[in-house]
Amino acid sequence: MTVPLARRQLLVRPARAFAGLAGIAVALLLVLALKAIFAGMEQRLTAYISRSGADVIVAQQGVDTMHMTESALPAGAVAEIRRVSGVAEARGILYVSTLIERDGKRAIAYLVGEQGPRDPGRRAIVIDRSFGAPVGSIVSALGRRFRVVGELEGTASIANFVAYVSFADLARALRSPGIVSYVLVRAAPGVAAETLAVRVERAVPQVTASTREEFLRSERRVVGNMATDVVNGMILVGFVIGVAVAGLVAYSATLSQLRDFAVLRALGLRARRALVLMLAQVAATVGAGLALALLLVWLLALLLPQLSASLALVVRPSDVAQTVAVAAAVAAVAAAFPVIRVARIDPASVFRR
Amino acid sequence: MFPASGGHILPPGMSRRGVPIAWRQLSAEPAKLAVSVVAVAAAVTLVLLLSGLRRGIGEQATLYLDHQAPVLVGQEGARNFLSQRSVLPEALEARIARVTGVADAAPISQQYAMLRLHGGRVLAVLIGYDPGRGGGPWKLAAGRAPSGPNELALDRVLASSHGLRAGATLEYRGVALRIVGLTSGTNGFMTPLSFATRSTVNALSRLPGTATFFLVNPEHGVAPEVLVRRIERAVPGVSARTREALAAEDRSVFVGAFSGPLLAMVAIAFAVAILVIGLTVYNSTAERSREYATLKALGLRKGALIRLAGAQAVALALSGTLAGTLLAFAAVRGISAVAPRYLVAVTSESVALIGVGALAMALVAAFLPSRYLSRLDPASVFRR
Repeated sequence: MTVPLARRQLLVRPARAFAGLAGIAVALLLVLALKAIFAGMEQRLTAYISRSGADVIVAQQGVDTMHMTESALPAGAVAEIRRVSGVAEARGILYVSTLIERDGKRAIAYLVGEQGPRDPGRRAIVIDRSFGAPVGSIVSALGRRFRVVGELEGTASIANFVAYVSFADLARALRSPGIVSYVLVRAAPGVAAETLAVRVERAVPQVTASTREEFLRSERRVVGNMATDVVNGMILVGFVIGVAVAGLVAYSATLSQLRDFAVLRALGLRARRALVLMLAQVAATVGAGLALALLLVWLLALLLPQLSASLALVVRPSDVAQTVAVAAAVAAVAAAFPVIRVARIDPASVFRR
Repeated sequence: MFPASGGHILPPGMSRRGVPIAWRQLSAEPAKLAVSVVAVAAAVTLVLLLSGLRRGIGEQATLYLDHQAPVLVGQEGARNFLSQRSVLPEALEARIARVTGVADAAPISQQYAMLRLHGGRVLAVLIGYDPGRGGGPWKLAAGRAPSGPNELALDRVLASSHGLRAGATLEYRGVALRIVGLTSGTNGFMTPLSFATRSTVNALSRLPGTATFFLVNPEHGVAPEVLVRRIERAVPGVSARTREALAAEDRSVFVGAFSGPLLAMVAIAFAVAILVIGLTVYNSTAERSREYATLKALGLRKGALIRLAGAQAVALALSGTLAGTLLAFAAVRGISAVAPRYLVAVTSESVALIGVGALAMALVAAFLPSRYLSRLDPASVFRR
């Protein structure tokens, strides 16, 4: 018969064990939640290009992003691109970051001037639902009034959302006749996007052509570059708090169990086995904290979008892996204090008390 | 019954100083006390740094406007300077200049510039100005201000973090821009400033003959608010704003975007601090249940026992807050030395707020042990 010592020692004070794992969970949640927020932001910021149907995006030379980016091409570039072998369709869009207003409410939007089937018509706008302007209402942007004729979903991030107006309306508002911001290109069947991008760059001067995947990667890098330091800072703080909480719990538990350990050692438990016992408790607490953190972030990712359409949390496997690594480091460092105490226990001490 | 107050009790015959039970219980395990203080301090530091970063982002967002003319004129509907496109014909300058009370109107063309540096993407604000007029760099650390085509003055911090010096070239939108000067006091996390001539910026945007804003100086004795109204009445299709109004909008846009995530992080940090204090005091109380039962059996009232636990919670909260505040100030100095593009503005207001928060933390954290103590049976001491 075996005695589950680690579990019994851990659960001798259930409130303390739960408070400890809750503390570790919250510390790991700091890391996970922030990464999920930025991942959600990345997903929303790339929503327009992801849904554009374009295989290749052509921009001004040196430009391969859209978020907070300026690009201007002569309108004649669209016709030049259409003539490139393998191009099924090329349409120019205008793109600008601006403020959209309705009844005193204001929000930043990426306003896209569309041509073709997505053109909502003169003085009309299609706008993300999160802004709260129902179909038929009037909003203003760039000093002009637009009637809402349609709603979009899933383009709103904490920074902004997407809206479409007609290309002609936006060109007038921006005083930019003869200019397009980007050209969205669809490849003919059987033509690879990479091949087409190379052909476009060869045929049309002073442009940068990126496949949709390359463009999306660059967009994600923009958010990543902005967030890296903040995320790293948060990981460090999460680590320190995690170590402190896990260390506190493990140390408190070990202190209250020193006599138990001494008895076990006197009964023949080897020092190495005692350490394994203690380490198992730390690992179990941190592991349970990690599981709770994952559950909490999953719940947040589920609930927050219900509260606000612009709050999107995306939990990526790579971020979970990074948090697991942080948790392992937390467990390793937190176990250091009690390891020293347990390693020094004299089995004879139990008879001296 | 002994007179009791907070963490002190006075047995008969003892001096008025009594026995500092709360302190003795707390300091019985110095390592545990230190870990608890570190955990609370880390949470407090996090709260201070995050709220400081939020404030700093707001302050950095208005760096350019803070040095400009008191009135700005943009396209109709323009309410902020950074996050909204405004395009006006440059010929409007003469019309604005004719408005009574206008001393000078200088056009600028500003835009975000997504620079590709070292394979990464670095966001800057590019200001196009007319040399000899307003809107250009106000302090140079090296070199000179741009005066010709395709010349650029770059923020010193941004330049140094990418190994760029005066004389180097930087590729932007297919054009090689030569860095002729480095500016100081123009650094920002998301909005470091760079300067070029307006014709250079307009050429990059293929929008010749345009300006995004006019920087308007009023004549002596003319209030900016009065001038704003006059310009809007006299010039159709424009939006005139005071510098302060535009700056407030920019701050609101920048800080607003970060508020949700930052406040969520602050809430999590507070939860951690409460949990740590609660855990420490609860552990200490539970481990000393025999001592507490003895004190109760000796006549110490329930209220005094709860105050004893409360005093420990308050001591932990305050010492953690003090350590966290000191750590936050040290971190601010470290950040400004290592990563100067981040402005973390920790103010006395936020420190005072965190002090109040610490007391709230202590009150919440003392709840668990106080429940435990109020249920503790004094007779239990005789049963062991």
